[in-house]
Amino acid sequence: MSIPIYTYDAVIVGSGLAGSAAARELKLAGKNVAVITKLHPLRSHSGAAQGGINAALSDVDSIELHEFDTVKGADYLADQDAVELMCQKAPETIRWAERMGAAFSRTDDGKIAQRPFGGQSSPRACFAKDRTGLTLLQTIYEQALRVGVDFIDEWYAADIIYEDGKVSGIVAFNIRNQEKAIFNAKAVMFATGGYARAFKISSNAHANTGDGLSIVARHGLPLEDMEFVQFHPSGLSGSGILISEAARGEGGKLLNSEGERFMERYAPNKLELASRDVVARAIINEIREGRGVGPRKDAVYIDLTHLGKEKIMERLPELRDLAITFLGLDMIKEPILISATAHYSMGGIPVDIDGHVRKNNDELVEGFYAAGECACVSVHGANRLGANSVLEALLFGRHVGQSMVADIEKLYLREAEQSDADTMIEEMERILTSNGKETVPGLRNELQQSMTDNAGVFRTEETLSKQVEIVKELRKRFANIRIDDKSKIFNTDLQEAIELGHMLDYSLFIVESALARKESRGAHYREDFTTRDDEGFMKHTMAYMDAEGNISLDYMAVTPGKFEPQERTY
Amino acid sequence: MTTITTQTITFNVFRFNSETDYLPYYKTIEMEVTSEEVVLDILNRIKWDVDGSFSYRRSCRHGICGACAIKVNGKGVLACKERMNDLIELFGTELTLEPLSIKRAVKDMIIDKEDFWKKHEQVKPYLIDEIDEHPESENLVTPKEEAQLLEADYCIQCGLCHYSCPSLENNDSYIGPAAFAAAYRFNADVRDKATLDRLDIVNAPDQGVWDCVKCYECQEVCPKEVNPIEKITKLHNQVFEHGVAINNVATRHAVGFAHSIKKHGLLDEAELVRYSEGTLPMLMKHGKVGFKMFKVGKVVMPWNMPKSDKLDEVKALIKSSSTVKF
Ligand SMILES: Cc1cc2nc3c(=O)[nH]c(=O)nc-3n(C[C@H](O)[C@H](O)[C@H](O)COP(=O)(O)OP(=O)(O)OC[C@H]3O[C@@H](n4cnc5c(N)ncnc54)[C@H](O)[C@@H]3O)c2cc1C
Ligand code: SF4
Ligand code: SF4
Ligand code: FES
Repeated sequence: MSIPIYTYDAVIVGSGLAGSAAARELKLAGKNVAVITKLHPLRSHSGAAQGGINAALSDVDSIELHEFDTVKGADYLADQDAVELMCQKAPETIRWAERMGAAFSRTDDGKIAQRPFGGQSSPRACFAKDRTGLTLLQTIYEQALRVGVDFIDEWYAADIIYEDGKVSGIVAFNIRNQEKAIFNAKAVMFATGGYARAFKISSNAHANTGDGLSIVARHGLPLEDMEFVQFHPSGLSGSGILISEAARGEGGKLLNSEGERFMERYAPNKLELASRDVVARAIINEIREGRGVGPRKDAVYIDLTHLGKEKIMERLPELRDLAITFLGLDMIKEPILISATAHYSMGGIPVDIDGHVRKNNDELVEGFYAAGECACVSVHGANRLGANSVLEALLFGRHVGQSMVADIEKLYLREAEQSDADTMIEEMERILTSNGKETVPGLRNELQQSMTDNAGVFRTEETLSKQVEIVKELRKRFANIRIDDKSKIFNTDLQEAIELGHMLDYSLFIVESALARKESRGAHYREDFTTRDDEGFMKHTMAYMDAEGNISLDYMAVTPGKFEPQERTY
Repeated sequence: MTTITTQTITFNVFRFNSETDYLPYYKTIEMEVTSEEVVLDILNRIKWDVDGSFSYRRSCRHGICGACAIKVNGKGVLACKERMNDLIELFGTELTLEPLSIKRAVKDMIIDKEDFWKKHEQVKPYLIDEIDEHPESENLVTPKEEAQLLEADYCIQCGLCHYSCPSLENNDSYIGPAAFAAAYRFNADVRDKATLDRLDIVNAPDQGVWDCVKCYECQEVCPKEVNPIEKITKLHNQVFEHGVAINNVATRHAVGFAHSIKKHGLLDEAELVRYSEGTLPMLMKHGKVGFKMFKVGKVVMPWNMPKSDKLDEVKALIKSSSTVKF
């Protein structure tokens, strides 16, 4: 049976902020562009961002301060040319989003309002109440729709067509009925989002399974800085659903089972407002030492009762609602239960400043681009600051869309062939006919639990080595699965199995990269190497997977700039 | 929450695979439900522990993406935001899980939402203005102007209101509450330039705002308190304010409105429809809905008319409708 081949100038995978922003640029420039997405565009995780989006808009702030805060927050691992571009273009980007219709909260004189956020020298986060991501996602989607972008939703991109250093399309199937197709294009962009779903306790959507990363890695292309996974201090106990930094910003106090305000011991000056990594470590330490609270003793209290009903209703209504829904606790009347949650991935598909995917330290892949959370242009280095990532997704999405427009003139279309779909078809057939005894939920649960236990907030040689073995073992067992659903219509069983395959592959990148980085920097904390080692590790990890699934590591220099590394204190 | 309690619940789960099944069926599953769980946890456990072929949509799992809307015992819920304990308190220990619209079911909880998205697009749901691609400053919008959106921008497109709306169920061309809320959202935006275009769309017979039977179902079911009926009423007002009302069922409706208010100080649904469309057409077109609404207590007999708590809205409409002359 032959598979249809559709031809476009550009094909984008993912319709969050990054993908939709790029698509609009291409369409405006008269290019024929399709966006493939496994969800309806408005279900993309960008819509979940609450807190804000950074830009130095006000007179008391400056672009240089924004750059400095970002580089310092990154523990000096960010590439400073990319940081400079981001901070310089941030004000225009926010205003452009505003011009397109984003419903920002306003100051009395009608300007975009800003609020303070962790690690920022000035109130810099523009916001739309506590639904910043929602307004931005709706706006960019609506405006892309308005100019006529072709959104192909509920299609799963399963492979790229990669040959001789050039990408010339993607291979995908329709989730609704397993119809398959090849999307042949001069330029392909990945904007597939985050991948913190590899962890049990996570703030991320079910859909954030990191497919894009391992699709790329399976072709022998590198992934960068995968060891840097950010753990947010305040996820709701049990689920990990996010309670935004605003809760601590407004004065929330952290308490252990003995009623102690334990941050006094870990960060006597900044207390609860120390940086995310510091607070997350303090919480996990309290729990480990037996001072946890809650039915499973796996949480600490955040007490907001002293703020009073009025302030909570005015500033944190959505958060109150979440705690009532998921814990049955009302923060107006009682403390609620939180613990650290896997939240954001600093690493990803390595790209240059214009979004071209890297083949290795020196070469680029032709016709292939990435932006947003799945990419690593490295503006966040080892630790990203709050409200910088929706900025990155929107701004670099747009920027990379423009660089694709410029490149398309020079790129030629290598025609796709039926055989380009072989890998995807084999993968689907293998899973549909596999008759083993392992189940997808079973293996996924083991992966997520062990990643949280062994590659979480605290890491050591011992836990990471153990985790390498666990992931390898799980990959072997994955070959022996069986799914219940053999039908063609909305076979989410099949989809979850494919996604699990991706999670297993990129998880190995996370643990192998973390094992080799014998220092503590930003979100990556090694109990056996507790300090930052600029001599040995002021460099990006570049990890590659061979045909047997083994990982090898290389390193790439960090792009320096005007800020020299200093010790990080808050 | 110091302790976690559990209860045994019997679920009747709607099952249907349009590829292989001629008719849907219900499967009974008993499960221990803990006080920590929301409906989505149950859907997950059915898929992960009982039958992997069970299908539903979900993404964010905390009430912000709109993917997971279903019905439990006929009540529309966002699965990831609805606490099991609340449902058990409401309905007891036997619960029926169904898709939003049985006639649109494709596979288990998954429905074909094509009509929902088409109608969304129909109202031009985007800010219409020439966009400055490289602005040096933002539009100035005061907090008061911003507040005019009345949180209509908080709609997460879950479709709960759409698939609970009796007008829509009876009339496929009716645009529906969610799309009207979107139309209002952009019409209320001081930056937008296409109010009249959108009013043409929402003012058209059959599809437009005048076909709302004011049952308040959309307000009740919305998990984000968008209150679509309030926005529909605002669109009624805009039609008169912008002088685009035409002498048709719509405006006769408004006359009926005024009449009803004089009589009761509140909208009398049945009277209103009779005024606008005449008694016989009314019975033919709305009889089924009317009866359904009556059964669930949504139509009040004239002698039981309560006093309106929406009197301000209503007065505003009367005022604006009385400015047009035919
Ligand atoms: C709870 C939460 C709160 C946050 N709050 C903030 C905040 O306040 N400020 C801030 O700056 N950042 C915040 N972030 C981070 C920020 O939201 C994300 O980094 C950003 O939105 C990512 O956007 P994106 O466009 O890269 O990806 P996403 O919006 O995640 O989109 C990914 C897209 O890829 C598609 N996709 C994935 N795989 C496939 C496949 N195989 N085939 C087809 N399509 C596929 C999906 O359907 C989706 O459309 C928050 C994150 C979380 C989890
Ligand atoms: S009030 Fe109107 S729009 Fe809302 S559900 Fe009832 S008929 Fe539909
Ligand atoms: S108005 Fe409310 S119920 Fe209707 S789609 Fe929007 S969020 Fe859902
Ligand atoms: S899964 Fe997003 S709203 Fe329920």
